[in-house]
Amino acid sequence: MKGRLATAESQTGSHAVRNGLSRRPIWRRMLRDKYLYFMLVPVFCFYFLFKYVPIVGEIIAFKDYRFSDGVFGSSWVGFKHFQMIFASSDFWRILRNTLMLNLYSLVFGFPVPIILALLLNEVRRNWYKRIVQNMLYIPHFMSWAVLGSIVIAALSPSTGIVNLLLKKITGGESIYFMADSFWWPIAYTIAGIWREAGWGTILYLAAMASIDPQLYEAAKIDGAAKLRQIWHITLPGIRGTIAILLILRMGQMMDVGLEQTLVHQNNSVLDVADVISTYVYRVGLQNMSYSYTTAIGLFQSVIGVILVLGVNRLIRLFGERGLW
Amino acid sequence: MLTLFPFWYEIVASLSSSRAITSGEVFLWPIEFNTVAYRRLFDDGQLIMAMGNTIIVTIVGTLFNVIMTIMAAYPLSRKRLVGRNGLLLCITISMLFVAGLIPNFILIKSLGLMNSYWAIWLPGLISTYNMFVMKTFMEGLPEEIEESASIDGAGDLRILLQIYLPLCKPILAALSLFYAVGWWNSYFNVMLYITESTKLTVMVKLYQMISLVDSNLLNNMGGNEALEQVLLTPEALKAAAVVIVVTPILCIYPFLQKHFVKGVLIGSVKG
Repeated sequence: MKGRLATAESQTGSHAVRNGLSRRPIWRRMLRDKYLYFMLVPVFCFYFLFKYVPIVGEIIAFKDYRFSDGVFGSSWVGFKHFQMIFASSDFWRILRNTLMLNLYSLVFGFPVPIILALLLNEVRRNWYKRIVQNMLYIPHFMSWAVLGSIVIAALSPSTGIVNLLLKKITGGESIYFMADSFWWPIAYTIAGIWREAGWGTILYLAAMASIDPQLYEAAKIDGAAKLRQIWHITLPGIRGTIAILLILRMGQMMDVGLEQTLVHQNNSVLDVADVISTYVYRVGLQNMSYSYTTAIGLFQSVIGVILVLGVNRLIRLFGERGLW
Repeated sequence: MLTLFPFWYEIVASLSSSRAITSGEVFLWPIEFNTVAYRRLFDDGQLIMAMGNTIIVTIVGTLFNVIMTIMAAYPLSRKRLVGRNGLLLCITISMLFVAGLIPNFILIKSLGLMNSYWAIWLPGLISTYNMFVMKTFMEGLPEEIEESASIDGAGDLRILLQIYLPLCKPILAALSLFYAVGWWNSYFNVMLYITESTKLTVMVKLYQMISLVDSNLLNNMGGNEALEQVLLTPEALKAAAVVIVVTPILCIYPFLQKHFVKGVLIGSVKG
């Protein structure tokens, strides 16, 4: 063994130290890195226990889970819970709401950071640009418990600032934004945009900063106005960034933020505000129908994974770099 | 301005009298200035205690996070490590397939962690995304540094502690901030796993102030009057609670915001 190593090292000459290392037998290399492996032991335990064990726990979707019997002791029931899901009207309602709210925030929310970034990019005074940006990020660092309470307070029919202004301008009746199934999704979407729009501009602005300034100069010489420059240079320049963020966004299509929905929800709007995650929380934990709601959750995540893989493929078909 | 006005309005409302809020006089400045709402919150003591709990959760949680993230990122950033690709694949898969709420809940319950902060610290030890950010950053540092150090006789631990960590300071700052803000804001996990009221965190208290009341009332009375009544009563009090909870973040925000931005940008390089 030793002899072979020696000849290998002598053959490769000056790179012997570097390459010779990787030609040692595996166990020697592992022994050499023993401290690195020690370091990884807790990491491995963490991923195993808190990421993989729950995935295995998903099998209770195919069982009648009872706490006293444990995950493995409970009896198998096959696809019973899935049949129950597809037969229940609750499920179609929460599925519709999930997709609807998501579609709203995708259609109205996704372009907002792009537009904001385009506007900010045109601001020439640097200090002003920086201040505006910093202000825009702030809501991102607030939890939904805080933002939700602010939104509810601002939209309150009697004391909320929005209704007070509306009454002053139009003189009409106040609107029950949070208790009306027409207004609730709108309020929900706008609150979501308020929180995340500024944060989303960071990546777009960075992408815009990396566009070659010579392109703009050339365009100016050719007589392109501001709007044409944005259309022909800035937007194509950030196309890749938009594509990647869109994939990531699509991955969440089946998943409406639990925390936001929870704080905005109230019983008078449940027909539009109940989404998969809140339903699982409410029915699953509070009524203890574990297996049934796990089946719903499993359905949700499988569709989610399919969506990510699908959109990623689609985007690569269009010639952009996907996630992998 | 639009993004900030709601915060300003909360401050104003918390300092106004409830009567003035209800009659819609409050707009830009406090009307009938008073600090009753704050005094009531401080006298009550519950919110302050919850604040203390939140601080503990945040500090300990962030400390765990940072240590664990380093322990994962450093070995995995060494290209010579045998089995590295397999481990990375396992981690990536765990990012794509996430188990639902119920299996996680059952796991925590079976481990007997209910009503202990371990129930929220342990499952959140590493954010895979942040770990990848750190790993990418470490891979970006020139290999020659490590080589020369190991020729000088430094072991892996020494190289990590004395060479890599100092070089990673900017990214460490950014990630600790992300983790800390996450802990400060976390309420859902706490709501799930902590039932003793003396252990609740500030966000859960706030959530209870805004939502529990109204769902109970709505169940009993139904419809809009109920909602109306809930929103009427503790307006100034709620505003004051929001202000108290938000203040720490707003205070440190100006100093930290450049780190945040840096963190996002480094993370996106991997994109």
